[in-house]
Amino acid sequence: MSSAMINTAMAVPAAPNVQPRNLVSDAVLEIRDLSVAYGKVEALSNASLSVGKGQIVTVIGPNGAGKTTLLSAIMGVLGSRGQVHFDGSLEGLPEVEVMVARGLGLVPEKRELFTSMSVADNLLLGAFQRHRRGERDYSATLKEVYDLFPRLWERREQLAATLSGGERQMLAVGRALMAKPKLLMLDEPSLGLAPLITREIFRIISALREQGVSILLVEQNARAALRVADYAYVLETGQIAMQGPAKQLADDPRVIEAYLGLASKHQEMLAT
Amino acid sequence: MNPRYLLLALVLILGLAPLALPPYYVTLLNYIGLYALVVLGLVLLTGVGGMTSFGQAAFVGLGAYTSAYLTTAEQLPAWLAWAGSSPWLSLLVGVILTASVALLLGALTLKLSGHYLPLGTIAWGLSLYYLFGTLESLGGHTGVSGLPSISLFGLLLDKGEKIFYLIWVILLVAIVITQNLLNSREGRAIRALKGGQLMAESMGVNTFRSKMVIFVISAVFAAISGWLYAHTQRFVNPTPFGLNMGIDYLFMALIGGVSSVWGALLGAGILTMLKQWLQDLLPHLLGNTGNYETIVFGVLIVLLMQRAPGGLWPMLVGWLPARWKMRRAAPAVDLNAAALPRRELPAHGQKILEALHVTKRFGGLVANNDMSLAVHSGEILALIGPNGAGKSTLFNQLSGVDTPTSGDVLFMGRKVNGLSSRQVAHMGLSRTFQHVKLLPEMSVLENVAIGAHLRGRQGVMAAALHLERREEAELLNEARRQLERVGLGDCLYEQAGSLALGQQRILEIARALCADPCLLLLDEPAAGLRLKEKEALGVLLSRLRSEGMAILLVEHDMDFVMGLVDRVVVMEFGQRIAQGLPEDVQKDPAVLEAYLGGVE
Repeated sequence: MSSAMINTAMAVPAAPNVQPRNLVSDAVLEIRDLSVAYGKVEALSNASLSVGKGQIVTVIGPNGAGKTTLLSAIMGVLGSRGQVHFDGSLEGLPEVEVMVARGLGLVPEKRELFTSMSVADNLLLGAFQRHRRGERDYSATLKEVYDLFPRLWERREQLAATLSGGERQMLAVGRALMAKPKLLMLDEPSLGLAPLITREIFRIISALREQGVSILLVEQNARAALRVADYAYVLETGQIAMQGPAKQLADDPRVIEAYLGLASKHQEMLAT
Repeated sequence: MNPRYLLLALVLILGLAPLALPPYYVTLLNYIGLYALVVLGLVLLTGVGGMTSFGQAAFVGLGAYTSAYLTTAEQLPAWLAWAGSSPWLSLLVGVILTASVALLLGALTLKLSGHYLPLGTIAWGLSLYYLFGTLESLGGHTGVSGLPSISLFGLLLDKGEKIFYLIWVILLVAIVITQNLLNSREGRAIRALKGGQLMAESMGVNTFRSKMVIFVISAVFAAISGWLYAHTQRFVNPTPFGLNMGIDYLFMALIGGVSSVWGALLGAGILTMLKQWLQDLLPHLLGNTGNYETIVFGVLIVLLMQRAPGGLWPMLVGWLPARWKMRRAAPAVDLNAAALPRRELPAHGQKILEALHVTKRFGGLVANNDMSLAVHSGEILALIGPNGAGKSTLFNQLSGVDTPTSGDVLFMGRKVNGLSSRQVAHMGLSRTFQHVKLLPEMSVLENVAIGAHLRGRQGVMAAALHLERREEAELLNEARRQLERVGLGDCLYEQAGSLALGQQRILEIARALCADPCLLLLDEPAAGLRLKEKEALGVLLSRLRSEGMAILLVEHDMDFVMGLVDRVVVMEFGQRIAQGLPEDVQKDPAVLEAYLGGVE
């Protein structure tokens, strides 16, 4: 994507009188000029983004644009340059353990379940840091998770390896919720899921927001993602190419042309 | 800067070493060379092939004892008398004997999986060791002495600084041969053994044969090392062929870098020097004698494994300036290489694949119940249904990964249930996987070239000597062509694991196409793709269809499916609940209820 496109396509013009978004005072996450390089190749360059409390923010963009890299860098799985402010304080270089303890949750693209453990044990491990801090109230959270995903309750004794695709995703989300995250980052939550289950996942995402969990969402069904989100960023070749309120981006002709398409009645249904 | 200059410098230094160094160090270098040859085999077996062996020392012993026996026995049986006249002839016998023993042991143990294989190697390692010690004719635990020196072109290699050259020439040749082999069609099959066996079988690779190949090669390397050892020492006894030495060889491989060919040399060098050095130094430090070096050594190994789990060689390479490393990239594609011959596609509309009343039970669970479907050439058939409906199970049975409990699968009219995925691949079926199966450390190009495995003919020998370069160029060029076709032409030389997940799925399609199939089985090809990528995939699949390919796909993106495919089969709870044209299926109440939603 050319820089010309970036300039003209900014849904929020960088005019001086408009308050830049990264000054949102109640942001739970705010990153500035974050860059990640694999060897000489820069996968993410100077990305700035913020997620307000109780907001759903989505990042859309093509494969290889750096979305997963972005989430990994925020989580501290990958080394990066730049600033990551989480929950009011600056993380020099995020470290996974610290970030989890401070209330950041990631549901990775490949789910990464503990396949040789039962569903219940997978969930309990999600509360590991809380247990370590001496909190013993996670059985209440466990009940909440089972309420949210009754299917996990039915299968609580089963090994995670025996779950179907949709159930695995539920377990991955449930496990992340066990840590009571302030911000939940979801990487492709609907990957490999049938339409009905995908709708269910989107409903759950909306429900989580009602409960006050902030969410950073990377999702292949861009149209559905824009419907549930408050704010959106477009990431192209490692750079934030566009940003704006989700509704505004959903109507932007360039976004429609590149990411939404016109004939997508099935996708339309996913976020209803 | 070309790494070839480094190699040249190494050869030059080695050539001058015996002239400049005191004899003690030449002897040490000889040992390093001998060990490195064994460790090289271990790198191939353990580092590349993923099979841990503690038994290599026994193969060294087999080579050493064969030659010792043949060249010193007073009375050989008449039919074997010729072999006693020269160490070179006894080497031949030793290599043949070792290869035969390796074939036998391999047939018995290579099918073992997990930790049973290493345990198996310990078992036969110990057995051979005790055999050497027990057999009267091999001198028992006293051993055999008075072995002749090797002579080469009339030159008697009776001193350390003379046999030095023979040892190191053989080692360098072995290193080059190993590198050549790994960098070939057979080599890709071997590299797929670690973590990609199911995928490789589906691409037509005989993984058991590949395992056997590296097992025999590593045994032969060990036997040659043993032969050199025997005629350098001119004396053998069982001690250096025991389990302890087998473990030391593994240590050397670990220290140097178990998956790098040059790591074998580095590891052998470091372990040998360190042992000598510690043996000299520790008694001085501690004031009394004892085997302290073993303890210190153990600690050092633990530290090393924590600091550099991949060994020292990859770490050294990591320190090299980037412009040197550029040259280490995967082999470049020769754009002028000839195109591979193509399979003749069946006539349009012919029935390619048919499932007849396929039922699959896992214990009490019925995953597929009386499933029937047919795919024709020039047609795209979609198989849709909720997660857990049994679609992937059906895929596995169609492609020979799994066998139906009852019912039949016909491919071009031939019954294929019970055949292996390799045989089905041979017949023209190629597939992708729901959970991407590729070799993340290998380049994108090489990953895709695995798909063309069955389109090459050249074997291990040709690969080791690089006599198959023309075919190799054709295979790589085909891989490039398919990658460009799917839109990944820009990342031929990147590590496959560095691609985004959606691109990895596309890579799998290129790999499947590389096999020149007449039937493609695609498991969720569009998952994770974005709009433009999906559109491009749709165009590609339509083009394949018009060329006469039969395509069966599982997919959840209904916008993608309904706009592309000719017919749809819907599954729920392991059985078919609907089939027909996309527009009809979308209105089917059962399908809406079970899968699509929309009825509130």
